[in-house]
Amino acid sequence: MKFDFDNNIPIYIQLVEQLKIYIISGKFKPGDRMASVRDLAFQTKVNPNTMQKALVELENLGLIYTERTNGKFVTTDEKLIKKYRNEYASNLSKQYFYNMKNIGINEKEAIEYLKNIGGNK
Amino acid sequence: MLKKLLKYDLKYMFKVVVIFYGLSLIFALLTRIFLNIENSFIMYVIGQICNGCMISMLFNILINNLMRLWARFKQNFYGDESYLTHTLPIDKKTLYLSKMLSTIITLFTSFVVIVLTIFIAYYSNDFVDMVKNMLFPLSDAYNVNIVLIILAFAFILFLEILNIVQVGYTGLILGHRKNNLKVWLSIVYGFIAMTISQLFVLLILFVIALFNKDILNLIFTNEMISIESTKIIIYLSIVLYTFIIIVENFINIKLFKKGVDVD
Amino acid sequence: MELLKCINLNKSFGNKKILKDINFTIPKGKIIGLLGKNGTGKSTLIKLINDLLTITSGEILINGESIGVESKKIISYLPERTYLDKSMSVDEVITYFSEFYDNFDAKKARKLLKDLDLDTTQKLSKMSKGMQEKVCLVLVMSRKADLYILDEPLGGVDPATRDYILDTILSNFNEGASVIISTHLISDIERILDEVIFIDDGKIILTSSSDELREKENASIDEVFRRMFKC
Repeated sequence: MKFDFDNNIPIYIQLVEQLKIYIISGKFKPGDRMASVRDLAFQTKVNPNTMQKALVELENLGLIYTERTNGKFVTTDEKLIKKYRNEYASNLSKQYFYNMKNIGINEKEAIEYLKNIGGNK
Repeated sequence: MLKKLLKYDLKYMFKVVVIFYGLSLIFALLTRIFLNIENSFIMYVIGQICNGCMISMLFNILINNLMRLWARFKQNFYGDESYLTHTLPIDKKTLYLSKMLSTIITLFTSFVVIVLTIFIAYYSNDFVDMVKNMLFPLSDAYNVNIVLIILAFAFILFLEILNIVQVGYTGLILGHRKNNLKVWLSIVYGFIAMTISQLFVLLILFVIALFNKDILNLIFTNEMISIESTKIIIYLSIVLYTFIIIVENFINIKLFKKGVDVD
Repeated sequence: MELLKCINLNKSFGNKKILKDINFTIPKGKIIGLLGKNGTGKSTLIKLINDLLTITSGEILINGESIGVESKKIISYLPERTYLDKSMSVDEVITYFSEFYDNFDAKKARKLLKDLDLDTTQKLSKMSKGMQEKVCLVLVMSRKADLYILDEPLGGVDPATRDYILDTILSNFNEGASVIISTHLISDIERILDEVIFIDDGKIILTSSSDELREKENASIDEVFRRMFKC
C-alpha cells in the first residue's frame, strides 16, 4: 500500500479518500479485517494519529466498523459500498465532462470519445 | 552507575598508559642486563641507551597520564561526547567522582610502575646502601624504617600531582563556562587555582612558623633544614595536601553541578 | 499531565539573547515538528531540554519535574552531531547503551543494524559519516522512551537515506511516546507531523495542529512557512 500525498491538503482527508477507494474497488473485501492502526500508518508512512483520525472518519461514513476486541473490519453492507462506488463514479464522470467542456468539447462529443477509446481497447 | 562509569574511564586511560608501563619495565630489565655485563664497552653503551629510554618512559608515563586525564575530562564533559555524557541518567556528582577515582587509580598504578621500574633497573646492595646512608639521619630521627620514609616522600609527590590534576579540572570547569576562548581560559583558571592552593600551603606554613623557630628559619634564611622541622614538614604536607584535595573536590563538584554550556 | 512544558524560558550568552520567553507544552503521543531556519534557536532549545545548556531564566518541566536523572531516563535524544566515542565498535556501543539505559532494547537495535548490513565489530571511526549517523539513529530509536528528541535528523542526507530515517522513526517510536523533530527541511517531513511549532529569532511565532493549518491556509506547511519567512 503506497499512497502519494499532496502536502497542500490535510493528510487525513487524503487517507480517507484513498482507503475509500480500496474498499469500493474491492481491494479490501467486505468483512475483511483491517490491519492495526500502527501497521496501516507504517505501510502508508504516515503518523499513527493521523491514520487513527482517518479511520474514525471512515467509521462515521459506515465503511468500517469496530469489534470491541478484534479490531476494525470492512463493512459487510454491500449496498452501502455500492452507493459510495456510484457516488465516486458519478463524480469522476462529472469531472470528465467538466474537463472536456473546458477544452470546448460538448457532452455528446465527449461520449463519442469515450466510445472510441472503449472500441480501441 | 559509578562502577560502570569508572570501568569506561579506566579502560580509556589504561588502553594507552599500559603500553608505556610495559616499555618502561622492558627498558628497565634491559638496562639491568646490559649494565651488569662487565668489560664490554659496547654493552655499556647499549645499557646507557636503555637507561635513557627507561627514564624518558618514566616521564612519559606521568605526562601521558596527566594529559589523558585532562583530555578525557574535556572530551567527555565539554566535547562532542558531552552530548552522550550529560544525557545519561546519572547525576553530575557521580560523573565527576568517576573522573576523580579514575585519576587516583591511574596515578597510583603509574607510581607503582615507576617505583618498580627503578627497582628493577638499579636494585643492588650498593644502591640500597647509598639510599640508606642518605636517609639514615631521617630514619634515625623518626625511629622508623627507611622504606617508610621513601613511601612518605612518594606519597607526598603523589598528592602533589593529584592536586595538579584537580586544579586542572577546576580550570576546565571554569574555563568552559564562558562562550569563547575556552581553552585559554581553562589554562588561566587552572593556574589561578594552582596558585591559590600553593598560597594556602605557604600561609599555613607561615602561621606555623610563627610558633616554630625552625620553620621560620627555613623560610627566611638559607640554613639547612633540621631533622625536627623536616618531620613537621612531612606531616604537614600530607595533611595539607589531603585537605586541599578534599576541599577542591567539593568545590569542583559544586561548580560542576551548576550545569554545563557545551558548544 | 503534559509530557513537556516550557514556561517563560530564556537563554542568553553574555548579552546575546538566543531564546526569548518560550512557552509551549508537548502532550503525550504526538509527533511535533520544531520548524525554523538555521540559527534561530531550535538547537539551543533542544540542548536546554537535554541539560547541555544552563537555563538563564524560566522553567522546563518534564512530567512536572525539572530536568535531572529522571527526565534523562525517559528522553531519548539524537544530537545534530555524532556523539559516540569513535574508538568504540558498534558492539561496544550497544553494550554501553544497555548498561546505562534500562529502557534500551539491545535486541531491537541489533535487528535494525542487521538491516543496515553492518559489521558490528567494526570501529565507528572506520565507518562513513552517513553510516555513523544511522547507527546513532538506530540506538536512539531502540530506547523505549517517552520522548524522542531528534535534532535535524535529515540534515544533508540523500533521498534514500531520508526515507530510511523517516521509516525508522515511524516504525520504532514507542507507543504512546511523543517525538520532537527539529528541521528546516519541512516538505520532507510534514506529512508525519501532528503539530508544528514555528520558531524564528528565538521566539515561538506559531503553534498549530498541522492538518488544521493546512485547512486554514489551504496550503502545505512548507508553503505556509515560506510565506511567513519569505525565504
